[in-house]
Amino acid sequence: MGNVPTKLEEPQNPSSRLKSSSFSNSVSGNSDITDSPGSGNGRSSSQTKLNNARSKKKNASLSNGLLKSTTISSRKKDQLDREQFKEDHAAELLVKYYESVDGGFLAPFGCYSLEKLNYNPKIVKKLIIERKLAPFYTPLQDFNDNWTDEELIKIIDGLPLHASFNESLEEFEDIPTGDLKSKDFDYLIDSSSLSKREQKKLHSKIFKARLHKKRIAWQEMENTYFLEKKLSNKNILSKSKDSSEDMNNHISNSSNDILNNIDISLPNDDLKLSLYQSGIECPICFLYYPKNLNYSKCCQQPICTECFVQIKRALPHFPHDDNEHNNEDDSEKDPHLLISEPANCPYCATPNFTISYSPIASRKTGINGVKQFYYKPPKANDDANLSNNTAKPVYLTSDTIRPDWEDKLNKERSRLQRRAANATAIHVSNQLISPGRSENNEIPSNLKELENQMIEQAIKLSLQDRKQNESGSRKKSSK
Amino acid sequence: MSSLPKRIIKETERLVSDPVPGITAEPHDDNLRYFEVTIEGPQQSPYENGVFDLELFLPDDYPMEAPKVRFLTKIYHPNIDRLGRICLDVLKTNWSPALQIRTVLLSIQALLASPNPNDPLANDVAEDWIKDESSAIDKAKQWTQLYAQPKK
Repeated sequence: MGNVPTKLEEPQNPSSRLKSSSFSNSVSGNSDITDSPGSGNGRSSSQTKLNNARSKKKNASLSNGLLKSTTISSRKKDQLDREQFKEDHAAELLVKYYESVDGGFLAPFGCYSLEKLNYNPKIVKKLIIERKLAPFYTPLQDFNDNWTDEELIKIIDGLPLHASFNESLEEFEDIPTGDLKSKDFDYLIDSSSLSKREQKKLHSKIFKARLHKKRIAWQEMENTYFLEKKLSNKNILSKSKDSSEDMNNHISNSSNDILNNIDISLPNDDLKLSLYQSGIECPICFLYYPKNLNYSKCCQQPICTECFVQIKRALPHFPHDDNEHNNEDDSEKDPHLLISEPANCPYCATPNFTISYSPIASRKTGINGVKQFYYKPPKANDDANLSNNTAKPVYLTSDTIRPDWEDKLNKERSRLQRRAANATAIHVSNQLISPGRSENNEIPSNLKELENQMIEQAIKLSLQDRKQNESGSRKKSSK
Repeated sequence: MSSLPKRIIKETERLVSDPVPGITAEPHDDNLRYFEVTIEGPQQSPYENGVFDLELFLPDDYPMEAPKVRFLTKIYHPNIDRLGRICLDVLKTNWSPALQIRTVLLSIQALLASPNPNDPLANDVAEDWIKDESSAIDKAKQWTQLYAQPKK
């Protein structure tokens, strides 16, 4: 695959859907958050070409979108918007080696499936860059205190950027995905034999299957790119080692050739050792990470960022709901009573699970820090460098990275409200045609009025709900 | 994702290398998320000297979702119903991803030692238990002798 990723439809810039000026604030091409690798031509020219191609494509799709929006129905547009949102979300979750912070990354390694990554990736990336949340470190599967430095470095060098994917999910087994390069896949749906409903269902299945495949392809492009850079660095360094023995100690003295060709966004051996030499196991995923993870506020237990983003509020439910026995009579309850409590600490069950993270000042590398290749370990007796505990800790909860939790609760409330209104409407109309009245064809006018009232109410609620949804998604997109 | 999560592999290894007294849990050959479990009845409980078979399944979302556990051996207990389903907070609302197969099975063993008829799953058993505790305990002992004898 290598450096020819333009063949596949690129993950679209999430902000390209917005007409605002936030255009420059992209993830893939933004220089102020991207740790632009290399000095001079560190990043290959093909990548620059790729970026140009990306922005051209962005412009094209922008104008396309504007043209289309006048012709297609608003329902279709809603659907397209939703799909674009999902695709943007998936694109935000790619691990890119040149987007590193303090030896970790801005996106998860992949211990949990994509469907479970429902946090707001923009907020999480921002928190990581601001050093308020531990980065997503690449985990070690095992750890052994007896490993020598050389052995440890060898293991670290073999770490992938992302966990391997399950390419053939049962769920998508018989779903055609067509040509991933083309945006349109309606030709895969047989509109002559399927009902509207079936068509819609198939459309959403195909979309999911395509997104699954696309995401794998996108991440694999990043993996390949990472691997190539790692190999080329290794070759350059081993060549220079032959000529000058003490390469690691005198980088400044080494030839220009090295500085021009090496990718300085990749970590040097000192950084690798500093990170993983005394790792700890995350008590939830059982994987090994650098010691400075996030810690719970209540009981000071470690939790890796990948597990932290999995923890969230309970799904909306009624208080004291056993959720086994009485699901059926939910419609009888007042939807306003629905609640969704914050998560408890997984370790000590203290309500409202809160974490904090204290970065190691001497390890400030990557974005807004020293290039990872230029990392220097602190001197042994330099206490000030160990940890910047002077900074006030920032406390984070699952709500910090899911600001939409309240929207979701309200959505569920109005869904129940609508269901209750529908049920009442059906009940009333059943009464109207009940056998007792069948002799009398004339429906009493007050009953007819009541029916109209009920229907009106149902329509009103459904409109309200729609409006709420729209304003919700607008709020989201303006963020 | 395609393979078994490291956590499940490590938990299984540790269950073998550092077993819990009175409890066994072995993964099934063709499904490593499915465990065959035995729990010995706690001493001084009506289930003493009994060995109970259970099945435990780790759902896809484990450890974010609790394991599913069920008694296979018939048991007379106010918090365990005819189908072997168990009413235990840590299996439902109080599940935490920091809990493990090991801790869940220990909680079930503790439930055998202290039945709680005030939060019943098997209503008839709980009623008997509240009405006449000693005869309920006798019945539980009988059932243990009848159904939970260790296989030799």
